[in-house]
Amino acid sequence: MAKRYLILEDGSAYAGEGFGAGATTSGEVITNLSLLGYQEIITNQIYHNQILIFSQPAIGNVGINHDSYESILPTAKGMVVRDVTNISTNRLSRLSLDEFLQQHNIPGISGIDTRHLIRKLRHMDGPVKGSIVDVADAHAFDQLNATVLTNRQVDQVATPKPYPNPDTGKNVVVIDFGLKHGILRQLSERRCNVTVLPWTASAQDVLNLDPDGVLLSTGPGSPLDLGEGVLEMIRTIQAEIPLFAIGLGHELFALANGASLRPLPVEYHGSSHPIRRIITNDIIYAAQGQGYAVDDKTIDRDRLITTYVDLINGTVQGLRHRDYPAFSVQFFTDGAPGPHESRDLFDEFMEAMTAREG
Amino acid sequence: MQNLNDLQKVLIIGSGPTEIGHETELDSATVQIITRLKKQGIRTSIIDNNPFSVALEEIQPTNMYIQAVTTENVRHILEKDMPDAIIPTLGGLVGIRIVQELIENGDIRRLGITLLGMPTTTMNQVNNPAALNATLKEIHEPVIEAKIVETTDEAMGLVENIGFPLIVKPVAPRLDTNRMICENVDEMITALNQGFQQSRFDQCTLEHSVVGFKEIEMVAVRDIADTKILISGLENVDPIGIHSGDSILVAPTQTLNDREYQNLRDATFRIATELGVVGVLHLSFALNPADQRFYVTKVAPYFTRGVALAARTTGYPVALVVGSLLLGQRLVDVKLPSRYVKQTAVIEPTVDHVSVRIPIWPFQEVPDADQHLDTVMKAVGSTVGLGRSVEEAMLKAVRSSQFSPRDVLPSVSNLTDGEMIRQLIHPLANRILVLIEALRRGYSPAELSELTKIDNFYFVKLQHLLEIEKQIQANPMDVETLRAGRYYGFGDGMIARIWQTDTAAIRKLSASAKIMPTYKMIEPTAGEFDEETSGYYSTFEYENESQPLGDRTALVLGRGGNQLGPNSAAEYFTTEMLKQLKRAGYHTILMNTNPNAIAIAPEFSDKQYVDPIQLGDVLNVIHVEQPDIVIVPGNRHFLARELAKLPLNLHVLPPDQETGEPLPESATIGVSLFVNDDQKVAIGVMDLIAPGMNKKLSQVTAFRMPAELPKAKRLNLVEQAKQAVSERQLTGMVQVLFAPKSAESKQLEVVGVRPTRLTEMAFLSKVTGINWVRMLTRQHIGTLDDAELTAVNIDLNSQRVALMNAAFPFRQLHVLNRPGSTDQEVGATIAFGSSEALTLTNLSDTAELDQIINRTI
Repeated sequence: MAKRYLILEDGSAYAGEGFGAGATTSGEVITNLSLLGYQEIITNQIYHNQILIFSQPAIGNVGINHDSYESILPTAKGMVVRDVTNISTNRLSRLSLDEFLQQHNIPGISGIDTRHLIRKLRHMDGPVKGSIVDVADAHAFDQLNATVLTNRQVDQVATPKPYPNPDTGKNVVVIDFGLKHGILRQLSERRCNVTVLPWTASAQDVLNLDPDGVLLSTGPGSPLDLGEGVLEMIRTIQAEIPLFAIGLGHELFALANGASLRPLPVEYHGSSHPIRRIITNDIIYAAQGQGYAVDDKTIDRDRLITTYVDLINGTVQGLRHRDYPAFSVQFFTDGAPGPHESRDLFDEFMEAMTAREG
Repeated sequence: MQNLNDLQKVLIIGSGPTEIGHETELDSATVQIITRLKKQGIRTSIIDNNPFSVALEEIQPTNMYIQAVTTENVRHILEKDMPDAIIPTLGGLVGIRIVQELIENGDIRRLGITLLGMPTTTMNQVNNPAALNATLKEIHEPVIEAKIVETTDEAMGLVENIGFPLIVKPVAPRLDTNRMICENVDEMITALNQGFQQSRFDQCTLEHSVVGFKEIEMVAVRDIADTKILISGLENVDPIGIHSGDSILVAPTQTLNDREYQNLRDATFRIATELGVVGVLHLSFALNPADQRFYVTKVAPYFTRGVALAARTTGYPVALVVGSLLLGQRLVDVKLPSRYVKQTAVIEPTVDHVSVRIPIWPFQEVPDADQHLDTVMKAVGSTVGLGRSVEEAMLKAVRSSQFSPRDVLPSVSNLTDGEMIRQLIHPLANRILVLIEALRRGYSPAELSELTKIDNFYFVKLQHLLEIEKQIQANPMDVETLRAGRYYGFGDGMIARIWQTDTAAIRKLSASAKIMPTYKMIEPTAGEFDEETSGYYSTFEYENESQPLGDRTALVLGRGGNQLGPNSAAEYFTTEMLKQLKRAGYHTILMNTNPNAIAIAPEFSDKQYVDPIQLGDVLNVIHVEQPDIVIVPGNRHFLARELAKLPLNLHVLPPDQETGEPLPESATIGVSLFVNDDQKVAIGVMDLIAPGMNKKLSQVTAFRMPAELPKAKRLNLVEQAKQAVSERQLTGMVQVLFAPKSAESKQLEVVGVRPTRLTEMAFLSKVTGINWVRMLTRQHIGTLDDAELTAVNIDLNSQRVALMNAAFPFRQLHVLNRPGSTDQEVGATIAFGSSEALTLTNLSDTAELDQIINRTI
């Protein structure tokens, strides 16, 4: 494998070995602390345009599996790992992580002291830009510094056209901001008849489909970049139809109901934090991936109730509307990858839809 | 049920002598839990008869019951001492069985004793497959059920439900029989006919076979509020069919995808909740790699080797946390020492390294044991390797498991192809070396995976190591090759051997090319927080996290994985030595690879390095820490010799047993002295008992204090012993050996002098109540006070009789039970009494006991 470099905008360069695509790449550098699930992570569209640093030291061990995709066309910008294994375990034994990344033009670099990077990035003001390059010269750094991070992530990854995922149960409209497939899998398990709409859908577009419930999906980037139209749609829908929002959807739900967001000093991507479910006082774990949090102080208590809170950084992890069957969580309830114990939120969504009928 | 906040007195059921199945890890957890209870002001008592127990040192003598861990004895203590609660999860399966009996007999209820760790209903199900399966089925967890059949027809009716392959086992067989794996109806009928004949009840059991499935373990903790966290998943490299204690184990799991892993995590949590476990839960699963389906195969709601490994590998302080949970605290409220980030107890561990554990088998010491690895555990110890790649961790573990003085792996290249294939299918102790050899001979990972049911991934990793080895062979003294070698875990000794040079040359090249180790912290958050845990391992990367401890540091080298011989005693020695060094103002650093060691818990030293105890790795640590003193164990001759060449303040502790002085064939009395300059303090006169016919010194495995001699005779022997020592240049703990002048004579004469063995040193400490490890350590570091030694006043004619008897692994290894030799010891028991008869009844093993009674001195 070819010698390549990871360079960061602070001027540091780390030598490693290239794998996956041989392209030069730039993007925001993000660390992920999950123990497993590299395929789910790299295909999650919340990492659009980002270079992912994995704390899991051994990557590629289980190849690429047909049931571990979180999107079909991943658009992450790169993988930074300690050690990669070129192995295939899928049923036809034909797709390793290396091959997969080549197919999707995503470069990887291995042999990197990822623990050092993770410890270092924790103390750097984000977002931090980085590149995977062949030569770590002044030109490469110039290119890196000239790179402008896009703020049109959702536009770039979310579906531009509606599509169905038919079944025989509840009629659910999913608004796609960069949807991860785990959400669709959970709805499928509950026999929901799903229609996925582009994020630009209006309230009328949604209502025309006469849904039993509406789900606002996960997605990349900042919700502040999406404009007032979406918030207006949410405000209309939540008053009429049961609403469940996850990740970016949760952030939008909060904005639509008057709360503000604040950027986290350090983004958190992992599933180690205890999350308290306030109503029962239970503690659960779930995959989290967030750069923003709903600002607790800005929550209008007459409208929203905090339902979940992260016990480590104190961030709001869940909200519920006082007047409508509308609720949201910051974390990934579908558990792909990550713990499953918050999957019951999909059941709650089902109940909300049933209650509306009754 | 007692309110947990009001607990005042708690009894811990100790684990008894170390044996196959449990080493010192239970003692280690016990010590930590005692620390926690003490902090709460709870009076903790313990019953144990393990002379090498460190936990016993932590307890007030009045709360110490040095008795065999039996139901009778425990009941007696409960009645007499009336504790509020009992902790049954630190005594292994023996502790569980005892509490089960006490529940069954109504004692627990009658005496109003609270069971800590789990409800009594759960306690009754531990190790009771029928009851446990019923519970698991209720919550829809898949289990492997055995159906009893009496006829072939009956079996035919069940086949469709059970499915092939299935296992036929005779019920209550007349002979020691094996289970038979059947792939089709014909094979089943043959097996049943055989089985019916072998069974005393003409019955067989039928169960679905999971042989060849992956064996995955999960270690979790749960609190009283039902909060659960998964500490670690552990993956057995060997498939089901080889006992997990005999399998190479990897943590975290490497060949499971996230869904498989989370499914097992879910099952673990459901079971923890259903069983109402408060504390630790260790589960085993059989996972079918073909369809991701799994079965629950083992449920252990108590401390085990797996728990110890999970703690060591993640840095999560399992025992400390469980200590709090047992007292009714919730995970969110658990306060940990300041080295941990606040709330560490409730942060689910995630790690950024790989651990590999390789077992150590006793076949060198017990050559007549069947050396095949199967469903019965035979390993007596294990050693762990940590790294930032599977290759690095695996190779480090392999290096530590081979006990090669020069860090060179043994060769199995002389195996014939036929023999090699046989061993691939029916593995022996050198399994890992044979797997590597097969790759070397050109078998592909896919072929080997098919043959062994070991995941292809591991062969790919081993093959990568072979490629690096080839590079090393092809490029002598090449810097980039050396870099690659060190990066993937090759030891300096290995590289030196390939390049036909010495370790010094390798180190010089490394230094000039700046290929230096970087130490990484073993902490449970994968770098998310600035934890200040004290465990480190080496790798060769960019950032080194280990800063020297500073002034006045002592580096103590451990003995690595447990073997037969005085190893539990050595562990006791190391732990006590570390305590003394700390007390003497040293910052202590321990290097060891035994995940079950007591001393490796962060409570006993300021810093721990989990790295092979080989010259290159030791010098690397010395380079970073610049210790003021270095302590090397006496059994590491090559290492000690090489270190002695360097300008180090080197001490050999525990002392080297080999002094050059020839030892007698046999001896019957030992007089122990502590020798310091001109001072010679008599510690004890003991009978040296060699159970059985063979009276060789190496067969002396039982001891009695004081020796059965007239008072005057004892004093006379002490004088003779002092004289004998004066004629030699010996200091420290010395044992003067006596034997009859002739077969007929009762007259005793000095036949030899040797450093006191570790087992006897522990015995003497327990009997005299003086910590002799402390004395010896202080003598070495020059802080032993003459006056202190003078003040020692031991009654050599004490009326109290003490006995210590070694335990051997023969029964578990399925070999003829017989008097063992000192290098076959797996543990020991100790007993006290006002007379010999009384003392004997306190020794636990009656078979051994008979042998002692029938001895001829």
